[in-house]
Amino acid sequence: MAERGGGDRGGFGRGFGRGRGERGRGRGDRGRGGRRGFGRRDEEEKWVPVTKLGRLVKEGKITSLEQIYLHSLPVKEHQIIDTLLGGGLKDEVMKIMPVQKQTRAGQRTRFKAFVVVGDTNGHVGLGVKCAKEVATAIRGAIILAKLSVIPVRRGYWGNKIGKPHTVPCKITGKCGSVTVRMVPAPRGAGIVAARVPKKVLQFAGIEDVFTSSRGSTKTLGNFVKATFDCLMKTYGFLTPDFWTETRYSRSPFQEYTDLLAKPTKAILVDNTETAEA
Amino acid sequence: MATRVLSQKEEDIQMMLSAAVHLGARNCDFQMERYVYKRRSDGVHIINLGKTWEKLQLAARVIVAIENPQDIIVQSARPYGQRAVLNFAQYTGAYSIAGRHTPGTFTNQLQTSFSEPRLLILTDPRTDHQPIKESALGNIPTIAFCDTDSPMRYVDIGIPANNKGKLSIGCLFWLLARMVLQMRGTIPLGRKWEVMVDLFFYRDPEEAKEQEEEEAPVAPDYGAMVPNDQWTTEQWMPDGGAVSAVEPPVTGVESTAGQAPVGAERWDAAAAPPMVAGAVAPGVPPVAAPSGWE
Repeated sequence: MAERGGGDRGGFGRGFGRGRGERGRGRGDRGRGGRRGFGRRDEEEKWVPVTKLGRLVKEGKITSLEQIYLHSLPVKEHQIIDTLLGGGLKDEVMKIMPVQKQTRAGQRTRFKAFVVVGDTNGHVGLGVKCAKEVATAIRGAIILAKLSVIPVRRGYWGNKIGKPHTVPCKITGKCGSVTVRMVPAPRGAGIVAARVPKKVLQFAGIEDVFTSSRGSTKTLGNFVKATFDCLMKTYGFLTPDFWTETRYSRSPFQEYTDLLAKPTKAILVDNTETAEA
Repeated sequence: MATRVLSQKEEDIQMMLSAAVHLGARNCDFQMERYVYKRRSDGVHIINLGKTWEKLQLAARVIVAIENPQDIIVQSARPYGQRAVLNFAQYTGAYSIAGRHTPGTFTNQLQTSFSEPRLLILTDPRTDHQPIKESALGNIPTIAFCDTDSPMRYVDIGIPANNKGKLSIGCLFWLLARMVLQMRGTIPLGRKWEVMVDLFFYRDPEEAKEQEEEEAPVAPDYGAMVPNDQWTTEQWMPDGGAVSAVEPPVTGVESTAGQAPVGAERWDAAAAPPMVAGAVAPGVPPVAAPSGWE
């Protein structure tokens, strides 16, 4: 049934059929888990950092993601996250969604991949990528997910014994029409959430939480983005423990300015010789 | 008219007044109100130059605090500021971008011109709005010369000044460069800086051509040497030239001048200043001559 009729406008029904078929395959993907071993090893070996931050991470001057978060430095190379979080990072394809565009020669289908990445200990990332092939989309989405890794703040429900296990306070995140509300839960409650946010919260390292959602949660894209937005806000919430004055520290770019000044063999664009207008 | 010796600050302010730095625009942005002294009867806002001077000092301190001067980028999209920006970069060791700012230079790591500066200096937040937007994304602090009607969004240090006139822009960059070099200790305080303000002023192409023509008849008088020969015989370089009309440049300068021209195909305005230190015929701006050497 997956024929492509020539310029047939009524291809919507057919599109649907294909869509259903794709979704089945998507679920299969999920079941298998997100590990794609082939080809990865080659990329890992030769990373030539382009950004200053990349250079510092490669040299080992920056040892944890927290230093990057502290100075709000934009992360542009996914290898940075790889080096800093290394093996702990697991990824999972949440959904492969086929999206179509109408051309005069039928539909042009592309696949949109939603990937969640996390180390189950306070860091999650969400990546969405659309590409003509499923594999490319997944690969791209994993990279984007790594670039968007965020710290998640965990707290206690009551009685600060042991490690933090739940959200620090009631927070809510919104994307599109979907709002996700997370409420602190006592130990042992587990993640009380739908299948989709449950995955994200597991990757984040939250053990117990009550959730409540509203809006069209069927749209997985928005649902997953809403939980991600919610998790982003955990560190955005000002609680009394943040009331002490900030002790400002030097940005790594300032600290390691001598190291960064050394030219890499590739580029040193000399702008001083530009001609006058 | 004060006949007593003026302090550095007062001298600078005198210079700024003559360059019309204090004349703002007819509109006033609410954030620039604190720097405006008064509004004239014809609508022009007068900027308080004392505050301008203070802001210049602040900006100079920030510039000096950056350990590696190459991490600073000075920019001007507008032609009036391009020459000033080039010279400023040359004297302070920064990078300059004159002309169009390719979008993505601070954000797109795949671009060849990708750079991550620690500081950005701009001539006008309105025309240079693109670098401002990008620096906001890249944690880059921004210094800018703001007129009374300039938007201050994402500008961290705004220096209130007239950024419309060529004399004004040149004067400001000259002052800023001098302050930076004084703070760094390269120039001693109190003494005059040998580099003239005129170097930082924008020159119209016609003006430049006029100077060339003036220089051309003068050149043959000095030993009737054809420019081409001079390129090969290095010793003659500094002496036989329209550039230093009166006396030969200081010996220390000769060597550098000798090497620079031979290699350069385009005679950059930037390379000229060392040769002309102090020895300039009155009506002739020093940099005009090199372009006549082609």
